Amino acid sequence: MQITRKPLSFWLLTLFFVLFVLFLYGPMVAVFILSFQGPTGGMTFPMRGVSLHWFADLFTSTRYGDIGAAFGRSVVLGLLAMAITVVVSFFAGLGFRRRFPGSGLIFYLAIISLVMPGILTGLGIGTMFEALGLRTNWLISGLGAHLSWTLPFGLLIMFAVLNRFNGSWEEAARDAGARPVQVLRLVTLPILFPGLIAVALFGLTLSYDEYPRSLLTVGTRNTLPIHIANLTANVTTPALYAIGTLTTLLSLLFIATAFGAISLAAKKRK
Amino acid sequence: MTKIRAAQCLASPMLALLVAFSGAPLVMVVVLSFWSFDGLEYHPDFTLANYVEVFSSPVTWRIFFHTAFYAATTWAITLVIGFTVAYYLVFHVRNLKIQIGLFLLCTIPFWTSTVIRMISWIPFLGREGLFNSTLMATGLTDGPLTFLLFSDFAVILTYVNLFTLFMLAPIFNSMAKIDRNVIEAALDAGATQGQILREVVIPLSRTGIALGSIFVITLVMGDFFIVRVMSGGQSTSVVSAMKNNIDQLYYPQAAAMAVLLIATVILLVGSILRVVDVRAELAR
Amino acid sequence: MTKDDRALRPSRRDVLKLGAGAAALGAGSTLGAPMIWAQSLKDVTLMHVGPSYSIFPDIVAQASADLGFKVEMQNAWTADIMARMMSQPESIDVADLEFWALQRIWRAGKLQAIDTTKIALWDKILPLFRSGTNLDGSPASTQGSLPFEVQYVAAAGDKEFAAGPTGLATMMPTIFNADTLGLRPDLIGRPVESWAELLNPEFKGKVALINVPQIGIMDAAMAIEARGDLTYGDKGNMTREEIDKTIEILTALKQDGHFRAFWTSFDESVNFMASGEVVLQSMWSPAVTAVRGRGTDCVYQGLKEGYRGWGNGLGLMGHLEGIRLEAAMEYLNWMLTGPYGAFVARQGYYSAVPETTQASLTPDEWDYWYGGKPAAVEIKDPFGAVMENPGRARDGGSFEARVGGIRCWNATMDEGEYLVKRWNEFVAA
Repeated sequence: MQITRKPLSFWLLTLFFVLFVLFLYGPMVAVFILSFQGPTGGMTFPMRGVSLHWFADLFTSTRYGDIGAAFGRSVVLGLLAMAITVVVSFFAGLGFRRRFPGSGLIFYLAIISLVMPGILTGLGIGTMFEALGLRTNWLISGLGAHLSWTLPFGLLIMFAVLNRFNGSWEEAARDAGARPVQVLRLVTLPILFPGLIAVALFGLTLSYDEYPRSLLTVGTRNTLPIHIANLTANVTTPALYAIGTLTTLLSLLFIATAFGAISLAAKKRK
Repeated sequence: MTKIRAAQCLASPMLALLVAFSGAPLVMVVVLSFWSFDGLEYHPDFTLANYVEVFSSPVTWRIFFHTAFYAATTWAITLVIGFTVAYYLVFHVRNLKIQIGLFLLCTIPFWTSTVIRMISWIPFLGREGLFNSTLMATGLTDGPLTFLLFSDFAVILTYVNLFTLFMLAPIFNSMAKIDRNVIEAALDAGATQGQILREVVIPLSRTGIALGSIFVITLVMGDFFIVRVMSGGQSTSVVSAMKNNIDQLYYPQAAAMAVLLIATVILLVGSILRVVDVRAELAR
Repeated sequence: MTKDDRALRPSRRDVLKLGAGAAALGAGSTLGAPMIWAQSLKDVTLMHVGPSYSIFPDIVAQASADLGFKVEMQNAWTADIMARMMSQPESIDVADLEFWALQRIWRAGKLQAIDTTKIALWDKILPLFRSGTNLDGSPASTQGSLPFEVQYVAAAGDKEFAAGPTGLATMMPTIFNADTLGLRPDLIGRPVESWAELLNPEFKGKVALINVPQIGIMDAAMAIEARGDLTYGDKGNMTREEIDKTIEILTALKQDGHFRAFWTSFDESVNFMASGEVVLQSMWSPAVTAVRGRGTDCVYQGLKEGYRGWGNGLGLMGHLEGIRLEAAMEYLNWMLTGPYGAFVARQGYYSAVPETTQASLTPDEWDYWYGGKPAAVEIKDPFGAVMENPGRARDGGSFEARVGGIRCWNATMDEGEYLVKRWNEFVAA
């Protein structure tokens, strides 16, 4: 729906949007171009030739350690964090539609979780595990640390999503005789679905990119951000940029697939 | 099962996870802040020395204000940009699919790891970088602009680049929920675009604005990495100063600063929530 | 150990061509145990946690192949390794630390002392580490944290360091180097001979320092002392007054715009130099070679006031015992036998046992990296990339010249907390 039919504001705003997207993508473009740097080139311009050398180097040289494994761990963690965050935030959000004793506690705990510097959260979780006699492990304490980061976002986004959520649809379904679970599955969920996608995307990207919390909670296996950060202590080749380009392409693929799947699902519902 | 009980049940997984993975570290941080460290060993005391140190040092306040300055500036800029882009997407893009597609377009850069995105600013903004070279080639400047990099400008630029999405998403969400009939009614009543913006759109998106603000402010106040890299180490933030302490194993001092930081940001968030009671909108 | 036992594990040992080293290893082997130990040794997995400039996948792969049990590695920054040692000690088996870190972490009691008689090549370790003397017999500089000062303890479990050599070491030294300033000769255009040049207004806006408080301040101190402003008692362990004066000078310079930036990670320093943002800065040796690898001239300049030294060593975590301890000792021994030393030599680092490193490098490489002679052939880095063309000699010259020129060591100070506070202030100014 358009608020106004005046073309001028439309074009101005479109220009603004385009500039914004260019600004967002600026560093990425530099990364993208430089990943095709020639064999003798460095991490800054000028380009010394154009080549796929650094992509090849990434896969063949031992200089970069086991990036594949680190990448795999980050993806697994990301997907797990995403799934847990969506489910937990969804239910918590539904719960928050009433004022209940303890809601304030949860809310402020979430805010504190957001605010507390990641390095201290990581230290705390690591120490806690040690005190309990458990080994820190990327899949357990690492996941927990990531959740401490994604859950507050999930909760707050659910607030946004449920804000002015029209409960009348649910009432209508209840009046029609549907049981609570059916109401949830057939009415609430489909309407909130786009919001849940937002939570999912946030959960995934926040976990995938997470660094400070992970440092002391991943145990003996590094995630990708930690791995890359460590590489910067000893590596300065455009292969780092190649990593960036590859992960971005992968994400594009992922989002395109997700988008396609949603469109298909939407079509089916009609 | 009563409705209250049901609500508590629904929220209990969230509570459990948060208590385990945030509550426990929080307790540890608070406890640590009262310990003493004599340079060699920790003493599980109850001492206020760390807090005295933190509160009485003028550097603490300078650093806090500087970080707050970053937060405020970033907040203002991301608010303007986020709101405008959301407004554009919701009200000026007709097709819903395109709306969502364009929105997703804005999220893609997130997948290039933050570390790498930061490294790439140097070839872009440096003395011999792309931006300066273009400027000089087109004759707009004589020499390279050095303030672009390793300065407060660079830090804020990076914050805006990385965090606008966090402002954009909630506002986009709130705006998309605005009932079209209200807008139609206002238009029919003869309202101008500006009036609609002021009286209808902004108030109805206030939840999104509040949430976006909370996100951006907490992200900036909690950052140490971006400020170090983009200021070229010339500037500091609260957490960056904290990290210097942590790296040397001076945990009690860092913990005291952390408690102060958490308290400050909770206050800020609390005041935002006083203006926009996010939860009241929710619970009916 | 009987000959039969040795026959059970033939190929690993044979692969290590060492001459004297092999005999020493065989004689000093810690596995004076029956067959059953040889069997379960294969099941041991060791975790070596160290910075990415110190431990590499190639090395642990080779170690695993040569030794028959699995060695794994994880990269982490020194600060995080220390934090892990304190809060999650079981997640590390072999800790790869800088020597100054021992001052911070030894008394936490997480490491165990190493019996030097069980290190076959201990006596071949440079006197610099073993007795704190230079190659010419003169005492090494004790400014800062000389590794020797934190090398020994009198008894296992002691929290204080022993004043002289004992049979118990805190860590086994592995690598070290002499650091100095890196510069762009093409952009500077004239010889640079003194640390004082770091503060020269001629380079205003084009200078950088490392952003680690206790190292950055030492570089600054070298420059300040060279300029004549101040003479320090111990640049690696400053008094409050010295810290104050140094920070004052630095703050004035910073506000004047003298520093372009401070770098935290290696690649930043490379980018600064390669892009011309900075012409003179604190730098690490591999960074210099990285810049040269781009075709940009960069010199790791030996300066008349000397170098700043640093060293890494391997420590054994306290929880190692029984067969795992035996495996760890074998690993430590293996690290001195040559392959590791050669690998890091190609990055510009020196090994604690140059003898075995020499045996593992080609004569041309040895002449270049240690001998300070002009390269006779193309010199390659550990990953095969060419980093020096024939005809050019290593900056600073020979091993003796560079190491002999070390005037202070990376350190952690008694007033460390005060230093961090004032450094934070300096950065906030």
